Amino acid sequence: MAERFMSERNLKFVLYEVLDLESLTKLPYYQDHSREIFDLTLDTAIRMGRDLLAPAFQEMDKQQPQLVNGEVKVHSLVRTFMKESGEGGWIGAGFPYDAGGQQLPTTVAMAAGFVFGAANFAAGAYPLLTTGASHLILSFGSDELREIYVPQMLSGKWQGTMALTEPQAGSSLSDITTRAEPTDEGYYKIFGQKIFISAGDHSGVDNVIHLMLAKIKGAPLGVKGISLFVVPKKRLDPDGTLVSNDVTTVGVYHKMGYKGCPITQLSMGENGDCRGYLVGEPHKGLSYMFQMMNEARLGVGMQATSIAAAAYYASLEYAGERPQGRKIATKDPSLPQVPIIEHADVRRMLLFQRAITEGSLSLLLQCSLYADLAAHSEGEEKERYDLLLDLLTPVAKSYPSEMGILSVSQGLQILGGYGYCDEFPLEQYYRDIRIHPIHEGTTGIQALDLLGRKVVMKNGAAARLYFEEVYQAITPALQDPTLKPYAEKLQEALGTLQAVTTHLVGFALKGEVELFLADATLYLELFGIIAVAWQWLLQGLAAQEGLQAGPTEQEALFYQGKLMTMRYFYHYEFPKIQGLATRLTDGVAVTTEMNRELFAD
Amino acid sequence: MKSLVCLKQVPDTETQIKVNPEGTGIVTEGIKHIINPYDEFSVEEALRLKEKFKEGEVVILAIGPDRATESIRTALAMGADRGIHVNDPAVNTADPFAVAQALAAAAKDVQYDVIFCGHRAIDDDFCEVGAMLAEFLGLPQVTLVTKVEVAADKKSAILERDIEGGKETVEVPLPCVVTSQKGLNEPRYASLPGIMKAKKKPIDAKNAAALGVSVEAKLQSKEYSMPPERKAGKKIEGLEPPDAAKQVVQALRNEAKII
Ligand SMILES: Cc1cc2nc3c(=O)[nH]c(=O)nc-3n(C[C@H](O)[C@H](O)[C@H](O)COP(=O)(O)OP(=O)(O)OC[C@H]3O[C@@H](n4cnc5c(N)ncnc54)[C@H](O)[C@@H]3O)c2cc1C
Repeated sequence: MAERFMSERNLKFVLYEVLDLESLTKLPYYQDHSREIFDLTLDTAIRMGRDLLAPAFQEMDKQQPQLVNGEVKVHSLVRTFMKESGEGGWIGAGFPYDAGGQQLPTTVAMAAGFVFGAANFAAGAYPLLTTGASHLILSFGSDELREIYVPQMLSGKWQGTMALTEPQAGSSLSDITTRAEPTDEGYYKIFGQKIFISAGDHSGVDNVIHLMLAKIKGAPLGVKGISLFVVPKKRLDPDGTLVSNDVTTVGVYHKMGYKGCPITQLSMGENGDCRGYLVGEPHKGLSYMFQMMNEARLGVGMQATSIAAAAYYASLEYAGERPQGRKIATKDPSLPQVPIIEHADVRRMLLFQRAITEGSLSLLLQCSLYADLAAHSEGEEKERYDLLLDLLTPVAKSYPSEMGILSVSQGLQILGGYGYCDEFPLEQYYRDIRIHPIHEGTTGIQALDLLGRKVVMKNGAAARLYFEEVYQAITPALQDPTLKPYAEKLQEALGTLQAVTTHLVGFALKGEVELFLADATLYLELFGIIAVAWQWLLQGLAAQEGLQAGPTEQEALFYQGKLMTMRYFYHYEFPKIQGLATRLTDGVAVTTEMNRELFAD
Repeated sequence: MKSLVCLKQVPDTETQIKVNPEGTGIVTEGIKHIINPYDEFSVEEALRLKEKFKEGEVVILAIGPDRATESIRTALAMGADRGIHVNDPAVNTADPFAVAQALAAAAKDVQYDVIFCGHRAIDDDFCEVGAMLAEFLGLPQVTLVTKVEVAADKKSAILERDIEGGKETVEVPLPCVVTSQKGLNEPRYASLPGIMKAKKKPIDAKNAAALGVSVEAKLQSKEYSMPPERKAGKKIEGLEPPDAAKQVVQALRNEAKII
């Protein structure tokens, strides 16, 4: 691993200078918090990342989890980190005080997640899943479920999971067949198979609590028949001992990356003795699960960003040290070779990485801020932030995931042949990041969600609010000569986005649903570039402000670097929207007319 | 069990240090600061003693400019009870003698069974303050400590200390001054509840006048300079390994003159 895996300066720039995180402390819920507390929190996260997580980054990849005698053995760091996450209060950080939390803003918790992910993404996943699962119980579970499960999960002794996927039901959750049979004892008997369940069983905890989707016998077809259950690996006997709950780990998959965290195949009720405890009301399970899925989607975007950031710093370090070739204008062989960072093409790749990672980070923290504001405001204001968050979640999940892969790939390219070899971490980052466009809803599914639901919901209310938000960056930027050209570009792009949306929604209005959604993924891409351009303009505004405040020499370099990266984004990435818009409005059907037979040979 | 922990804020080990243009010190602006790692061992040990005896207090005593409060807060977030911050331009950058005098003066108002100092601070590396402090307070001192066992009556302690090639075990009456060495313990991370509580814990600010010390420097630093840049190495190429090895030996003997 390289010496640096993230930039504290950049993280604080986004939090304090771009997003004005401190203003959150004016909300009563966050009144005990302050910049000092946020800084101490981040400082601790960085130390844990550096001293605890990063040293095991490569080892966890090499020693993948093994299924031994029915239990999955994982690296010893997992237990240590779960314990630290529990005792340190990280798992329940954002929960209310009375639920054992610290009422820490999601934005700060996400920033800490970024640090952990950049240090060791696989290790960071375990507590993150436990946070989401325990939050579900807290939000929708009975008092009894809360009392039994939440404290153990927050302490890091019990792992939480989300158990949705089945062999025949991945993207299409309405097709799950795991069934729950009611009993007179207050619990249900669970029968079925789940696959790909992250952290579904492992030696780093004493118990695993699955938040599992299943259908109660006789439930309606489709998503309206899905219920949510707590299904523990071991259940508590009346005398307080943990006994087997008939959940069998049948297999652990061998993955290309993200190897430090197992994904398991589970079989429930092989002996007819697997008990599940209903969460909330019957048949409402999927709507509850969406709380965890939406949190996890931002989490996935953040993990992708963190891997991409770590890769960026590794390739930046290498580019400064690797002598190769001479400046293109002075090809005198008697001169020493220059470090490759002197070559414009290498700097292009570095700028690409930086523009993607820092743009993604900013978008994700922006969404986290909306989540905090939505959770702790009321009425119209709450609705505003809820809608913005809903709209942007598929974008903040997919852009960092898809572009992060390309970003790490360019990072690997910077190392040339060494990038392809395991003495350097780039090949691992490349394998690790590949998961992100797949789990928590593939990019294709996110695209359908964005165009098919979010953009059109409530007659386009969310999209209108979003435009307003973007204008809040455009308006001041138009007054600044340095930023004006970029503000104008963004303004124009909003017009393009509007025109494309109107064109596509036109198909829907004519009932041509297939044409409406056939290129949803391209629409998502277009939307994503504009969203990140918005974040870059906001960063540009903050950098200009920083420069005007008479910074130290070092600080001035930071701000100038920011502005240059913004420029890169607008001149290299942003023009791609024209191509996308052309395709999205040219009206020629291709994928819908390409029959299976035409793939014959 | 009451402990007084002397704590210094130092530049982060990962920071690039630059000497200021006047050559009177390093540039401190814009660099990250941390608790001196040896002082972190002290904080941890003091917390463990309090936990073991299930009573007592851990007081953090730091000398330094405003930003030193961050380090005191970090120690409070780890679990220490309160802080004393001596913040006076005259003392903040003073020599070890004056620093030890100020610490001794501040310690007078505190009750303690043991005083912990780091055996050295990783910035100036004087390794003097702990010893001088013990001298000023008339207390026994044990340096380079890697293990602490306090007797149940808190009247004495058995300490293990590093010596060349091994360990020495000594018994010392309390109160005493202990200087912490690497290996003493694995310092804990601050917890989030600890961070929240730290905000409410008191930090008492003091200046030299309040302590009644007048600083009299015994040491004058003449100049700060960076070590010379490492020169490029010499490559021995195109030879069979046995011949190359001979060349290396000759170069070490005749050019580098180190063997
Ligand atoms: C490392 C890893 C961790 C995971 N962790 C978990 C976990 O903790 N819990 C859990 O429940 N699951 C987990 N999963 C499962 C993951 O969520 C699914 O793999 C994912 O949702 C895709 O489902 P699938 O694999 O069945 O692919 P499919 O649904 O078969 O999709 C295959 C392809 O078809 C496309 N597609 C599918 N349906 C449509 C459609 N209607 N329109 C357009 N395109 C479509 C998809 O976009 C995709 O490209 C994990 C998977 C992996 C690999």
